[in-house]
Amino acid sequence: MAGLIFAGAVALPAQDVPFDPHSSIQINLPPDSPVSLLSTNVGESRATPRGGAMVVDLHMSLSLRNSGSRNIRGVTLLVTTQEMTPGGKASVAVPSLNIAPSQTFPIRIDLRLLRPLQAGGGPLVKVTLDGVLFEGFDFYGPNRLNSRRSMTVWEMEAERDRRHFQSILNSRGSEGLRREMLDSQVRQAERPRIDVRVSRGGPAISSAAANERMERFAFLHIPDSPVEALDGSAEVAGNEARAAQIRVMNRSPKPVRYVEIGWIVKDAEGKEFLAGSVPASESDLLLSPGQTGRALQDTALRFSRNAGEPVSIAGMTGFVSQVEFADGRVWVPNRAALQSSGLLRVVAPSPEEQRLVDLYRTKGLSAVVEELRKF
Amino acid sequence: MRKHPSEANLALFAGGELNRWTRWSVERHVAICDGCRRDISDFSALRADSAVLAELPEAAWSPMAAEMKANIRLGLEAGECVSPHAVSRMIFSPRALAACVSLAALLVASVFLERPAPRGTDIRTSEAVLETSGSGIHFREGDQGMVLLNQHAHEVNDLATGRAMQQSYVDSETGMVTINNVYYVE
Repeated sequence: MAGLIFAGAVALPAQDVPFDPHSSIQINLPPDSPVSLLSTNVGESRATPRGGAMVVDLHMSLSLRNSGSRNIRGVTLLVTTQEMTPGGKASVAVPSLNIAPSQTFPIRIDLRLLRPLQAGGGPLVKVTLDGVLFEGFDFYGPNRLNSRRSMTVWEMEAERDRRHFQSILNSRGSEGLRREMLDSQVRQAERPRIDVRVSRGGPAISSAAANERMERFAFLHIPDSPVEALDGSAEVAGNEARAAQIRVMNRSPKPVRYVEIGWIVKDAEGKEFLAGSVPASESDLLLSPGQTGRALQDTALRFSRNAGEPVSIAGMTGFVSQVEFADGRVWVPNRAALQSSGLLRVVAPSPEEQRLVDLYRTKGLSAVVEELRKF
Repeated sequence: MRKHPSEANLALFAGGELNRWTRWSVERHVAICDGCRRDISDFSALRADSAVLAELPEAAWSPMAAEMKANIRLGLEAGECVSPHAVSRMIFSPRALAACVSLAALLVASVFLERPAPRGTDIRTSEAVLETSGSGIHFREGDQGMVLLNQHAHEVNDLATGRAMQQSYVDSETGMVTINNVYYVE
């Protein structure tokens, strides 16, 4: 009954109130930024009172231009909200770009804020540049969100996957590439999904109310990984896991400053889901060759599917998903390792694979072939 | 693909208020239908958002309902004083029926507005929570919230990365991959 009334209430049109989206958004790009703002469209933004609160929908479409002299591969914008403290920090990134100098490109930011009616004035949202990645992995920006590493990882994965699809095209022709695009579509459609909720890592309050236990990780070995996961565990209660920690060793000859471990959860029926990743501590990890360190996740993760059905954790598997060396270079698993380990059907496709498959879906094989020949 | 469940059933499913048989039927459908799964996810997110709103109005619904009931009763008693009809007939009069219907509607509205069930225990806590839904990444803390929406997305991939939630998708209007992150900051 309540759900039906709720559905009806959602469908009812709410009364918008006068709202100036331009004064609610502040966009600041540094004077020496390699991207310049051409225009901002906030046409569909609106504010709607609901009960004692205000729902502000901000829809921004920024038109940016590459005002530098090198091709841009990725851009990350930092989005902060004025009143959301201590949280309220977000980012919008567009990887897998190939923007030539003077070329323009759009970035869309769609944000919904729920705030008290009697909130203060001033801009609600500030948008600043966190980083720009260029062809050749050069970087510009304050890098507050470690966007340099993220964009480098995405670009490494993009190069890896373009090479893979180019080799398929060269060895098996257009039909081979079509088959690969279809396979990827099927993998994406069939990839098991799980909803994850992150909260502070306090005592477990599981919806399954099960007893807490220490669950150990099993690890997938990636042959050329510069870091090896040695052992690890997390405190598990029903569908909730917290305080995950994994001991890692640097097997490479170079110092390592960041490691991320992919985290796969197995449910009671044996289905595997990519639950998230366990990062190395941002500040204090610097692994010399042969040295061991720890990757930690001090938040609690709660897993569910089908809009709230708890997923009990029956097992956990980890794998090294990315490594950043002290010199800023990045390692990601190669395509063959993903295929042979079975990870390809569990992990999300890279942003570039998503883009190419979407290009195939919307514009056909010839558009993909043309795109692959640009690189 | 089988026939899609009605929007009302999807909303009831999101609230866990379907009977066993219909729930089983909807579960079977959403296991193979991305669109309905996303609708359910949206309904869940909207329930969560509206639960925050449910806490905000401080109107005293119970006294208000009592006052309205008293007024109705007063009206009935006044009508009884001037009515030439006997009490036994008045019970079935149109005016009495209208009063009963109004009273019933008022009671239903009062129960709905004050019922504790939609206010999930997670929402009422001031603990910061990050989660994803079909519509975007939600961050809630106390009576404030933010959703980084993934409008124009065809296929969305979620990832919990330490202290952030991430969604990546291809924007269907620009054809560009977009990766949204909302950070859990203490």
